[in-house]
Amino acid sequence: MKDTIWKICCALVIIIAVLTLSPLVLSEGKHKPELMGMPYILWVGIAISLLLWVITYVGVLFHPGKDD
Amino acid sequence: MLQKLIIAACIYILIIIGLALYSRKGERTSKNYLMAGSSLGSLLGMFTFAASLFSTFTLMGMPDFFRVHGVGAWIFLAFSDALMVFGVIWFGYYLRKSVKESQHEYLGMAGFMEKKFNSKWVGYLMFIGVFIFLVPYVAIQIRGISIFLNQAFPDALPLWVWASSLVVVMLVYSELGGLKAIIYSDILQGVLLLIVVWIIGVFCLNSLGGMEAMFDQVEAKNDKLLSVPGPKGLFTLQFFIGSAMGIMLLPFSQPHISTRIMIMKDNKSLYRMALGLGFFAILVILPTAFIGMYGAINYADLSPAEFLGKTLFTDQSEIIAVLVTIGLIAAAISTSDSLLFALGGELRSLLKGEDKQMVNIARIAIVVFGIVCLVFALLSNDQLVLLARTSFAGTSILAPLIFTGILAKNPAAHKWLAIPTLIGLILFVCSSLGILPKVYVGIRAEIIIPIVLGVIALGAVFLSRS
Repeated sequence: MKDTIWKICCALVIIIAVLTLSPLVLSEGKHKPELMGMPYILWVGIAISLLLWVITYVGVLFHPGKDD
Repeated sequence: MLQKLIIAACIYILIIIGLALYSRKGERTSKNYLMAGSSLGSLLGMFTFAASLFSTFTLMGMPDFFRVHGVGAWIFLAFSDALMVFGVIWFGYYLRKSVKESQHEYLGMAGFMEKKFNSKWVGYLMFIGVFIFLVPYVAIQIRGISIFLNQAFPDALPLWVWASSLVVVMLVYSELGGLKAIIYSDILQGVLLLIVVWIIGVFCLNSLGGMEAMFDQVEAKNDKLLSVPGPKGLFTLQFFIGSAMGIMLLPFSQPHISTRIMIMKDNKSLYRMALGLGFFAILVILPTAFIGMYGAINYADLSPAEFLGKTLFTDQSEIIAVLVTIGLIAAAISTSDSLLFALGGELRSLLKGEDKQMVNIARIAIVVFGIVCLVFALLSNDQLVLLARTSFAGTSILAPLIFTGILAKNPAAHKWLAIPTLIGLILFVCSSLGILPKVYVGIRAEIIIPIVLGVIALGAVFLSRS
């Protein structure tokens, strides 16, 4: 179970990385929709960074070599 | 103002030299002097990792990067750093496991690779690779802070005196106390960095009337700053991929960072440290965006040095300006000394002989490396972020060889991988200097070279297994 969750975390990080580098995030000239005045690329970038941090946190809890 | 700065700088220097003297306890062995005893807890680990990672490049380079190229700079650094943190957990585990299983006393990646590949040439290649790309990285730290000080106090001292003084300070305290001294001072420097960057960031945000008003003004001034690829078209997909690859691989390709993975007490401490680092990265990078936007609105046409001089110094109250200056000096010193020390460690890891004598050779080498970096700092240009990025990308070329050493069952069978790695390094240096093209089959050299080397390494390992 521990190992599976860790592998899911690894897969999620790869998927998020690919999506971030896709036109979904890196859309040329796009700065809307805004959030709290922040342009699209900035708030989405911040959200992605926080999401990756959360996944890393979960990954740490279930890392197979945690207690080595 | 200069008088206040001198007083504050003297206090700061006294504190770090005091810390260096405090950490002189114990015998001066390689393990104590170069690896700080290898039993670091997560909090100390986080500060030393953060202080050596976030440097002048972050505090001065990133605001300028946001100012000139826009908010896409967030993806360039914060996104890449988030991936790097996950990589520390993912592959840091394998690095530590591999060192443990080989029963090797880790003193540097070059020595470890020499042992794993059973080839001194692999060790030499590793050392040359990191030396070529770390010297410019140290140089931009020294140059960055020196041009700032020169801008802030134009009539006080020439650039070369500022630069030389910084190098002398960092050499004195790292020579005195070794890696432990650097780690203790990193706490002070990490906290200072965080405080300073937020003070300036909040000042910039407030003076522009808050977040929404700030971005409205940026849009009115130059709306291309609010999206990719930015006003100068820098932020392309390939730029982001190249940056992410270079930064993700830093913990393994740059010795000052891999040393910090190896000196953690245990895996649990390593993971906690990485989590703290991930959060620290977001906290440090966010205010640099505010500072950059402030510059884009008020100082769009100035040079990087003039913009930083005005934003970080002239526009601030005297106390804040002094604090900022000390924070900048701290940021530059904390990264540079770690890098110089890591170069010494890499050299030590290749030396064979009586330990005390080898440590002394490494100490002399650190001074020599410091002088080389000083000369380079006086000759290099002011594009801090782009020079740093070249350093990240350059060392990433070593990564396929390093990962083969860590992950392959019998790395010694693949020692020939040093040859394509050497060719890759030469190609990258030539394309960076403009001798060879920067783009091959439509792909930038910094992406295609590590990918080709990675495919070769994977192919070699796969074929030997089957």
